[in-house]
Amino acid sequence: MDPIPKIQERFADQVVGTGEHARQKWIEVKRDRVVDILRFVRDECGFDMLTDLTCVDHLNQGTPERFAIVYNLYSLKDNERARLKAWVPEADPTIETASSVWKAAPWAEREVYDLFGIVFKNHPDLKRILLPADYVGHPLRKDYPLTGRGERMAFPRYAP
Amino acid sequence: MGLENSLPDGVLTTKLEWLVNWGRKNSLWPMPFGTACCAIELMGTLSSRYDLSRFGSEVIRISPRQADLMIVSGRIALKMMPVLLRIWEQMPEPKWCISMGACASCGGIFDNYAMIQGIDRFIPVDVYIPGCPPRPESVIDAIMEIQKKVERETLKQRA
Repeated sequence: MDPIPKIQERFADQVVGTGEHARQKWIEVKRDRVVDILRFVRDECGFDMLTDLTCVDHLNQGTPERFAIVYNLYSLKDNERARLKAWVPEADPTIETASSVWKAAPWAEREVYDLFGIVFKNHPDLKRILLPADYVGHPLRKDYPLTGRGERMAFPRYAP
Repeated sequence: MGLENSLPDGVLTTKLEWLVNWGRKNSLWPMPFGTACCAIELMGTLSSRYDLSRFGSEVIRISPRQADLMIVSGRIALKMMPVLLRIWEQMPEPKWCISMGACASCGGIFDNYAMIQGIDRFIPVDVYIPGCPPRPESVIDAIMEIQKKVERETLKQRA
């Protein structure tokens, strides 16, 4: 069941836009009530599985905000997929956590926090998951230099 | 020669340095630091077709404390470098290091924030093996280069 018309009807003031590419539709929403929308999609539309939660950095691309948190959803019952995007501004990169809706969310959110620096509010254990704990910066942001800021040279040279 | 004539049968004379190096070079115990596809080639080198035990190096030691040759085979990421340093420090002297493949030697194709651009920036490397990944023949060649190097060493160099 396509959840997009249902979301548009129920959360009319939250919807920013919709789109379609290669017969795959998505819906873009504001971040304010994203957990309510996700819980609605899970309970009322049957999307009981979060296959992936990730982030896209639209730096200088003329999008409503810089970051888009992307929720890829799957309905085991109907064998259908849906995609939901929530816009997050650069000045205040925070969004409410989806941990209370899907158990799959916390680790995916930790990865997004690690690599993009998006802070998920009320997350049970928000810390880096891939990079070393003392790493500074978020390297998957488009304005992060590809070869880093000297992290790869910051080790002691072995002296016998 | 004078001295051998006065010794009983079965006694040879030699230099201690030569004897020690002869023992060391023919019983190199490798510590495999395999992190990527090079480690698969290293396994091939060790197994029956190429048979590294012909060179006395078949005793793979997963514990660094029992090894004297570290073979770094694969890419070393930012998070792996402290582990590599720690393991290298745990190996007792005398010890040697082979940097196997493009990634361990110079970062290979991975010129990004997370990849160490050559382990020789932090630990001393004796022999580099080019290739992506190198063939087992190259690994055998590197072991033989290490053996030549061990042969030439003096006891003062390796206390």
